[in-house]
Amino acid sequence: MKAHRPTPPAHCSFDPEDWLRLARCWHPVARACDVDNKPHKAVLLDEPLVLYRINGQAVVARDVCPHRGVPLTLGFHDEAGIICPYHGLRFGEDGRCNRIPASPDQPIPAKLNLMTFPVEERYGLVWTCLAPDTDNPAPLPTMPRWHDAAFQQINCPPFDVNGFAGRQVEGFLDVAHFAWVHSATFADPDNSQVPDYSPQETDYGFTADYWSTVSNYPSGAEDRAPPDFRWLRRFEMHLPFTATLTVHFPGEDRLVIMNAASPVSARKTRMFAPIARNFDLHIPVGEVHAFNLRVFEEDRLMVETQRPEKLPLDLTLEAHIPADRSSIAYRRGLKKMGFGEFFLV
Amino acid sequence: MRNTLEVMVEGIWRQGEGNLAVRLTAPDGAALPGWSPGAHIDVHLPGGLVRQYSLTGNPASRRGYLICVARDPDSRGGSRYIHESLRPGQRLTISTPRNLFPLEKADRVVLMAAGIGITPLYAMARRLEDAGVPFTLHYYVRHPEQAAFRYQLGHPFRFGDCTIYHSSAGESPRHALPEALTRPATGTRLYLCGPDGFMDHVRQSALTRGWSPENIHSEAFQPPAPSAPASSDNAFTVTLASTGQRWPVAADQTIARVLLDNGIDVPLSCEMGICGACLTPVTEGTVDHRDSVQSAAEKSGPRQQVALCCSRSLTENLTISLAP
Ligand code: FES
Ligand code: FES
Ligand SMILES: [Fe+2]
Repeated sequence: MKAHRPTPPAHCSFDPEDWLRLARCWHPVARACDVDNKPHKAVLLDEPLVLYRINGQAVVARDVCPHRGVPLTLGFHDEAGIICPYHGLRFGEDGRCNRIPASPDQPIPAKLNLMTFPVEERYGLVWTCLAPDTDNPAPLPTMPRWHDAAFQQINCPPFDVNGFAGRQVEGFLDVAHFAWVHSATFADPDNSQVPDYSPQETDYGFTADYWSTVSNYPSGAEDRAPPDFRWLRRFEMHLPFTATLTVHFPGEDRLVIMNAASPVSARKTRMFAPIARNFDLHIPVGEVHAFNLRVFEEDRLMVETQRPEKLPLDLTLEAHIPADRSSIAYRRGLKKMGFGEFFLV
Repeated sequence: MRNTLEVMVEGIWRQGEGNLAVRLTAPDGAALPGWSPGAHIDVHLPGGLVRQYSLTGNPASRRGYLICVARDPDSRGGSRYIHESLRPGQRLTISTPRNLFPLEKADRVVLMAAGIGITPLYAMARRLEDAGVPFTLHYYVRHPEQAAFRYQLGHPFRFGDCTIYHSSAGESPRHALPEALTRPATGTRLYLCGPDGFMDHVRQSALTRGWSPENIHSEAFQPPAPSAPASSDNAFTVTLASTGQRWPVAADQTIARVLLDNGIDVPLSCEMGICGACLTPVTEGTVDHRDSVQSAAEKSGPRQQVALCCSRSLTENLTISLAP
């Protein structure tokens, strides 16, 4: 991969400084299982991307042909790479141009290579970083239990939200909305009180251990918890937009959900949700997908209608209650990363 | 408010790999209040950190309090401070002992500990031995070297038996539950201490083997108490660095209230010390931090900020750089 001087794309919906800060971080752009040899489209931080595989290796590049700027996602593929539909230039490993049909015998100048970005495949997702900081590389978020042999890995189909990633993630961390928004799926409308909890700062963000009696069994399903069972929900926030939630079911049963919000633009988010669990392994994954989809669908109206659409990091701009300790820790963490008013237009 | 005591660190020594035992005594050698097994103390550490540790060792001994602290690799506070900075001779403030995990009357007792969860249970074992109550102690650690009080537990008890299990040798609580757990009886009580996963697992296993929930005991989980401003606090003055204006803050007023009353705009949101909206840099004076939004590191760091809605001053004056 060559070093490029990172610049925000045209029509960027972020403040340029914030864009640069975000571009230094890893973000998921697709499920690994959805990326094959064909050109696959994704947008990250307003930058249109093309994703494809060659010899099993995933490539992430700007979706702009270096020749005359046609998007490669309009193209097709053969065994040796992806082919631009306009003049047939072909790009293979590491985005290198390996064929110029109009002048087949000429050596290929570097200028004809795609502008690629680093790729990591983790938790069944393809992650990329638009402006890696080589002196101070950003860590990739971690997910508990994903690599544990006793755990089943499930990767829900991506879920698009017409809202800002920061608002979506803050909603994932918010324990006070369960009783109001999620009582059709798992929460109890009569159990809305939020017991005290206190987030702990970490190098990557913070963790919050939240104990309550709100069950995590689907509403209507048999509740297999002993009476008064106290559920532990451990949140791990990896700034800026990835959080994991480990739900401690009775006994050794654990459910881990990663909420990896990919900032498509300041107003659009593509949510990825890898899940690991060590129980109910006989239940078809389709049912898990459907259940999680319902939960995220329940959040949609809230996240898409919040005003301002963006996340005010100036804490005087919104009201805060004790249940919001995680949201406060989240905003403080983003502020420490240097985000200003954070996209407050 | 709970009573506090000033104590001195009399000694610190290794108690199994990764653990430090700390003995605390009164600085003048006076006797400390008595305690019973299962009791804990709050230890106040620099930077406003307060951590609870179970008392351990022999509850009959009046030589001081003994605690044992495991090094937690994820610690950003308590265990890290104790392992890296605490020194013999140092003074600390602690609370008087409080017991949320007392031993109840029983014919037999099963004690099950994992990791540093041994601390209250070791004290219980000592008390049961003294009282002649038959007991078995089952202690799970990863490697043999990690066991605390290994020497003491290796000596035969008259009324009890102790087994140490090593999960590195396949003896994890998942695979090696003691036989004692298979024999519930109305007069038999089970005490648990260790990580949540361990306690959940043992509790569930005991329940499925017919134990009744009233016979299973573990320390009630206690989320940290939100810091409530005390009412008996001293008055002080607050000064604006920009203009030099100065006002008294009475015991029953907040800094924010005084500033607002004097026409100064104060950034406020939660007004209870949880959001940080009102954090303002301090240029002079020592803050009595009452907020729960700043981390311990921030509260003890060089660039002090005061939460105007709830915090107070330890010095007669606090100068803040709030825009007038
Ligand atoms: S624009 Fe892509 S080959 Fe010409
Ligand atoms: S107003 Fe929220 S901490 Fe002071
Ligand atoms: Fe939600």
